[in-house]
Amino acid sequence: MPPETAVLALLVVALTLYAVLGGADFGAGVWEVNTALQAPERERTLLYRAIGPVWEANHVWLIFALVVLQTAFPRASAAVMQALWLPLFLGLLGIVFRGAGFAFRSYAAGAVLQQQIWGVVFALGSTAAPFFLGAAAGAVASGRLAITSDGHFAGSFLTGWISPLSIFAAFFAVGGCAYLAAVYLTREAAQAGDQELAHLWRVRSLATGAWMGVLAFAGVAIVASDAPALWAGFRERGLPFVAVSFVTGCGSLFGLWRGGFGLAVTAAAATVGSVILGLAASQYPVLVPPGLTLDFAKAPDRVLLAVLCAVGGGVVVLVPALFLLFRTFKRRPRQPPGALGTLAVSCLAPGPKSRGRCR
Amino acid sequence: MNATAVAEGNLLLARSQMAFTLGFHIVVACLGVGFPVLMLIAEGLAIRTGDPTWYALARRWSKSFAVLFAVGAVSGTVLSFELGLLWPSFMGTFGAVIGLPFTLEGFAFFLEAIFVGIYLYGWDRLSPRAHWWAGVPIVLSGLASAWFVVTANAWMNSPEGFVLTGGVVTSADPLRAMLNQATPAQTAHMIVAAYMVSGFLVASVYAGSRLRGRNGVYHRRAMALGLTLGAVFAPIQIVVGDLSAKMVARTQPVKLAAMEGQFRTGPHAPLRIGGLPDEVTGQTNFALEIPGGLSWLAYGESSAVVRGLDSFPTTDWPPVALVHVAFQLMVGTGVALFALAVWSAWAAWRRRALPDGRGFLLAVVAAGPLAVLALEAGWVVTEVGRQPWIVQGVMRTTEAVTRAPGIGVLFTATLATYSLLGAGAVLILRLLAREPVPPARLEATSHAA
Repeated sequence: MPPETAVLALLVVALTLYAVLGGADFGAGVWEVNTALQAPERERTLLYRAIGPVWEANHVWLIFALVVLQTAFPRASAAVMQALWLPLFLGLLGIVFRGAGFAFRSYAAGAVLQQQIWGVVFALGSTAAPFFLGAAAGAVASGRLAITSDGHFAGSFLTGWISPLSIFAAFFAVGGCAYLAAVYLTREAAQAGDQELAHLWRVRSLATGAWMGVLAFAGVAIVASDAPALWAGFRERGLPFVAVSFVTGCGSLFGLWRGGFGLAVTAAAATVGSVILGLAASQYPVLVPPGLTLDFAKAPDRVLLAVLCAVGGGVVVLVPALFLLFRTFKRRPRQPPGALGTLAVSCLAPGPKSRGRCR
Repeated sequence: MNATAVAEGNLLLARSQMAFTLGFHIVVACLGVGFPVLMLIAEGLAIRTGDPTWYALARRWSKSFAVLFAVGAVSGTVLSFELGLLWPSFMGTFGAVIGLPFTLEGFAFFLEAIFVGIYLYGWDRLSPRAHWWAGVPIVLSGLASAWFVVTANAWMNSPEGFVLTGGVVTSADPLRAMLNQATPAQTAHMIVAAYMVSGFLVASVYAGSRLRGRNGVYHRRAMALGLTLGAVFAPIQIVVGDLSAKMVARTQPVKLAAMEGQFRTGPHAPLRIGGLPDEVTGQTNFALEIPGGLSWLAYGESSAVVRGLDSFPTTDWPPVALVHVAFQLMVGTGVALFALAVWSAWAAWRRRALPDGRGFLLAVVAAGPLAVLALEAGWVVTEVGRQPWIVQGVMRTTEAVTRAPGIGVLFTATLATYSLLGAGAVLILRLLAREPVPPARLEATSHAA
């Protein structure tokens, strides 16, 4: 495999992981909007507790994809940044407000009004981010961006990104995030032993899942009518991914129906992931349609190899760390909590012992 | 409007936006690098001594850190997009050359985010030791992040490791680009600054509390720990800063000339303290001059020839007065912080305790904002001092700026967003500070239990 293809594959993997992991974090905020922020406190606690430890790490996949794009395909990145500055900027605002809103809300304990305000900020940001990032992805896929094959953008800076596919992709991304969040939260609630909440999220994820399935077919129709180049590639290489997406989509609904939530989570992630992989495969080897190819946009080989080495080294460190993170928080704790907390409390207990070493 | 006119109009806006967002991020990022050190020291002392005050401090600080880390993460994300959004030709041309440190920084940040998650949410899930160790990668990856990002900036000051043919990079050596001449001194300067800012800011907050009468052991220890970190790095910064200036003399003589307000080329260049350079008359007025001082500092010999601004075409000059004044502010503040470090160390050595007097506490309160001032001034020297170039001697900032319209709207929206972000962070931090000091609360819990 030539190095540029390997780096492109990495990029696609990073974006897929961002969609599957980070997307669910956005989805939690989308649900806050959908319930008009009227969700009972117990429901919200589950939601905040689920994304608290992981959202920062999940968010980094986007940064990672971005720096790899800038490094390995600098001219494609520059062209896309010019053409899509508006949706990217708006998506960025969403990311900023989501992150800040979440952190501020989490630590505003006691100040009810502030908590409410930051909750709204978090919810709106969480919805805006996938909406505009989805629109940007759809705009690239549509092949309607006026980017010449030498990497110059000649279209309108304000409206050049708007097309049927980009609008559809915006809504589809928001829906996909909501679906992922609902499925993940079903499992979280079931693991926490809260049958009522598990039922609620299960109903929600079944409904969203069925609706997203219908939308997905509509999406294929829009691609066929609005993006002929992508459609051609899709018919050539996209079909296996559609098949996988369809099967896993049905699998996740089945899992939800039958109460196999572990299966549902994996299958839902695979459904969303294969949509992105299918999109990338259909577009290959064009990097930014209509005409900006991988060959033209790639950085010198030495840079690509350096990126690959860096990623290789990075993965060695990252994978165990990620494993540790998800193992610590996405499993039921086996040991009774409060080790260090207990230390402090016992130290403070009145009596002669409280002055000495407390171990 | 033709493309050039758009570029001219955009240049000031794009530079203002970059300056504003970076100026914001740099403070939060420095705290993200330095604050975990304090947190871990406090937690380590809690584990070692079993003293609940240290434990309370560590736990309290971890909340403040969480807020600051989130703000740093989002403002850093904005920056990584902004590089491409505002300076597409720069990133389009040189993205390949400086992308390696950004990629590596991505990994470092990734690792940091993972362990921040484990650390912040793991207080009650991990054993004390395991929890402390979960904090160590935060410190290390914060350090690595800072190093990687600053190597990219060092490259803009001292570009190496690429071949440019007809405006396109035809071959690149990303490792050499990363390890350019400016890298060692500039990265060290930045990292030491991050520790100083964190230490002095924390000390400043608690000195303020003590002045308002909250004078218990909790506030004393918090201030002492912050002050120790700042005071340890203040003298180191003087050495590192000197190395940085010597590096600038080698790689960017025109920046050095602007920093020092040195218009004329010649031997025995004086070191100027204060003063206001006048680009029209080519004089730096009102400065206290130490004869031969600049020659000696830059090249180790008072007779060495220093290239003044007159050896460069005026079209290559940075805004001299701004760079000189910013440099003076940075150095002056750095010396003041060094003096505070000496005062603290001397008292700690002679009296086995930090001074308690109002004067000392006021000085510590001032040290926080002063450290931030020095940081920002130093950043102005680096960035404004490189103008009119975005890549020293290779690409002008005008060539790099985006042609997209609406940058003014973008800037306004950014100002509004960041105001909200900054105000929110301050509100939340104040809210956290208003909580009763944890030991009292824990004590209440244990009585109840």
